Amino acid sequence: MRSVEIFNLAKFYPNPYGEPFKAVVDFNLDIQQGEFVGLIGHSGCGKSTVLTMLAGLNEISDGGIVVNGREIDGAGPDRAVVFQSPCLMPWLTAFGNVMLGVKNVYPHASSNQRKQIVESALSAVGLADSMKKYPREMSGGMQQRVGIARAIALKPKLLLLDEPFGRLDSLTRMELQDVMLDILHREKITTVLVSHDVDEVVFLCDRVVMMTNGPAATLGEVLNIDFERPRDRASLLQDPLYFRYLDHLVSFLTERAHLRTEPRHYDSKSLLTFTGKKIESADELSQAVA
Amino acid sequence: MKYKLLKVIDTAGLSFLSPVVRLVTGEEPRKQLQDIARFILVPTITFLAFLWLWSVVAPKHKTKAGEVPTPSVVWDAAHGIWRFHDRESAKEQGFLLIGSARESELQRATARLKEVEELETRAQQQLATIRDRSKERFETAVAPAKTAYDRKRDDYRQFRTQQAAELKDEAALLRHSDSATRQEFLTKLRRNAETEEALKAEVDRLKAVYSEAQELTFPEVKQAMRAATLLGEEKQFLTKYLDMLGESSREEKLATAEQRLEDTRSRFLSTTDEDLYKLGTNLLKQEDFLSTTADSRYAKPWTLPKQIVRSLLCVFTGFLIASAIAIPIGILCGLSPTFMAAVTPFIALFKPVSPLVWLPIVMIIVGGFMPDPENHWLVVALSKVPFIKNYGIDPMFISSAITVALCSLWATLVNTALGVGSIDKDHMNVARVLRLNFTSRLFKIIVPTALPLIFAGLRISLGVGWMVLVAAEILSTSEGIGKFVNDMYTNGSSQSFAQMFVVVFIVGFIGMLLDRIMVFLQRLVSFDTAPAL
Repeated sequence: MRSVEIFNLAKFYPNPYGEPFKAVVDFNLDIQQGEFVGLIGHSGCGKSTVLTMLAGLNEISDGGIVVNGREIDGAGPDRAVVFQSPCLMPWLTAFGNVMLGVKNVYPHASSNQRKQIVESALSAVGLADSMKKYPREMSGGMQQRVGIARAIALKPKLLLLDEPFGRLDSLTRMELQDVMLDILHREKITTVLVSHDVDEVVFLCDRVVMMTNGPAATLGEVLNIDFERPRDRASLLQDPLYFRYLDHLVSFLTERAHLRTEPRHYDSKSLLTFTGKKIESADELSQAVA
Repeated sequence: MKYKLLKVIDTAGLSFLSPVVRLVTGEEPRKQLQDIARFILVPTITFLAFLWLWSVVAPKHKTKAGEVPTPSVVWDAAHGIWRFHDRESAKEQGFLLIGSARESELQRATARLKEVEELETRAQQQLATIRDRSKERFETAVAPAKTAYDRKRDDYRQFRTQQAAELKDEAALLRHSDSATRQEFLTKLRRNAETEEALKAEVDRLKAVYSEAQELTFPEVKQAMRAATLLGEEKQFLTKYLDMLGESSREEKLATAEQRLEDTRSRFLSTTDEDLYKLGTNLLKQEDFLSTTADSRYAKPWTLPKQIVRSLLCVFTGFLIASAIAIPIGILCGLSPTFMAAVTPFIALFKPVSPLVWLPIVMIIVGGFMPDPENHWLVVALSKVPFIKNYGIDPMFISSAITVALCSLWATLVNTALGVGSIDKDHMNVARVLRLNFTSRLFKIIVPTALPLIFAGLRISLGVGWMVLVAAEILSTSEGIGKFVNDMYTNGSSQSFAQMFVVVFIVGFIGMLLDRIMVFLQRLVSFDTAPAL
């Protein structure tokens, strides 16, 4: 079942001294219900622009976005966003921050029900013991957990992650990635993740969308990640295919991101090596990994 | 415990105390001693140096209200102000005392009066003996100036008469002389006048020196005089106090009035030969008098402590009016650039206007609303509020409060607009994603973000308001600190000059206290730990 449909999406920024600046053009993508899609590209290529347009925080210049059969118009709690910085209200506790949205999204729930929703969301991110803490009393990782809890407590149809782990150290990042996988495995929320970390997208996503370089960035390649779920980091790191995926992504970013071709689709059987060469047989694959 | 105390000290803005606490708990004594030296010792030393400089410089400047008072004189004046307040309060209470309490107080005061009278006579005698003793010293001290003046004055007089006679004689001989000789005579006359002028100036100078020397008083005489004056004042107070406790006390007055009423009533009921109409009206009048006497109070004059409370009441009234206007408008300004553009000219135009311009305008406008202030509903309503009724709210008070509001609201307005306008874009994005409605956006995100800046504005407003108030009270003669200063200025004795200096310190101290309170509140509402200045 199709959850999100993006057609001919474009973003122009007005330029007082000439033609409007084209940030993104002709972006077409369909996302299935419960799918985890990663958006990757060089910095400044417009991946965050696509995400903010999905969230409704950024005006759409051309084309459109349909979520669950309805074209979006402005922001809303059905598309929850986890921002790069946690963006918590410093005068509210972790509980209060999550409650802020819950109150609005469940206007008919009793206060006890709301409390339960908030508590279960905070427990899901591992903050059951820190609900009464203020943001200034929490580490960056904990704050980001609150940000995630605030998003999932809304029971969104689409979860948008804007480089949510970008500012964390690698240990915390891994922890939060596991938390994220765990939650999504249970909740089956359709998710879009913007990232520039190739490890992260291969580990988390079902499909990775690679964007060409800006200006006028668009969809370059799409790569299906065929790992089973639930995923386990340790066994994945043992899998040669994991590194082949990484290889493909890095080769796109270094070799082909500037090319303007029709979008191509790849999966585990049609991966390219670093030099862009296609691998035909299993022999060659193991050779390339070695 | 230690850290709790330190936190309280920090929040209260008394951070200069924290090295003391740390030193007592034995934390890095060297560093704490350095901090104490810097934050406690240095300010103390500079303040003492200031007092010393003041006491040296002040007596050198003579004014028509006497010498500029030294710190000790100002200290005395402060005591005087407090004594006045104390005694007036005692009289007020004495007036209302009844029964055995009044009797015992009467006895106590009588005994004290006797004591004071004795002491005063003794002090007067002592003063007389000290004066006698110092007379000789005084004469010898003043003598050189006196002799110099006398001699010069005699010289001058003699010169004048002698010269005048000589010149007259010479003039008589010149009746048949030619014009050249006459011209010469004229020059001589002029030279003579000049010499006379110079002599006169010298005499005047010596006279000033002499009169200044005459003002010389010896410290012991001054001291004896002061002791005698203090006792005299106490005697005067006790006499008046005894009157308030005795004949003029409400109880006695009531008793007399009741007695008289009874007499009249019995006469009215039983008389056969008097005018019943006259007696009847008299009876009614006496009934009225009795009821007013029952409610009567001692007509206590305004004392400085009471005036200070009224000033504080006035400044807080103005401050509340200012906040009630400035915060909502400031929020609107911050939310809507259009509204901000509409309001900016008013801010720019009215912000620099002096309270001295606002006050007369406000007084006239308020006067227009209250043609009969005694019976205006606002005054009547306020005269029933428990605490406020003692402070006689009148149009002058309201005008002063509105003037304070008009001058102080701008800081809060601008700061609120700034705080609301500078709200984090990310926070607004969160609000959009959560689709918060306008009220939750306002109260959950906008106002909490702006709160520290709003309080910074309120702090400035309160400071401005306090400064403006004293000026407004001087001009409007509304009872309060300003009125006190004005009274002292128009009264113009050397004592009142020192009392004005007392006011400087009181106004400064209260202003500092208000500022500290606002800093404290600002810190309470600041969610980050960054200390406010």
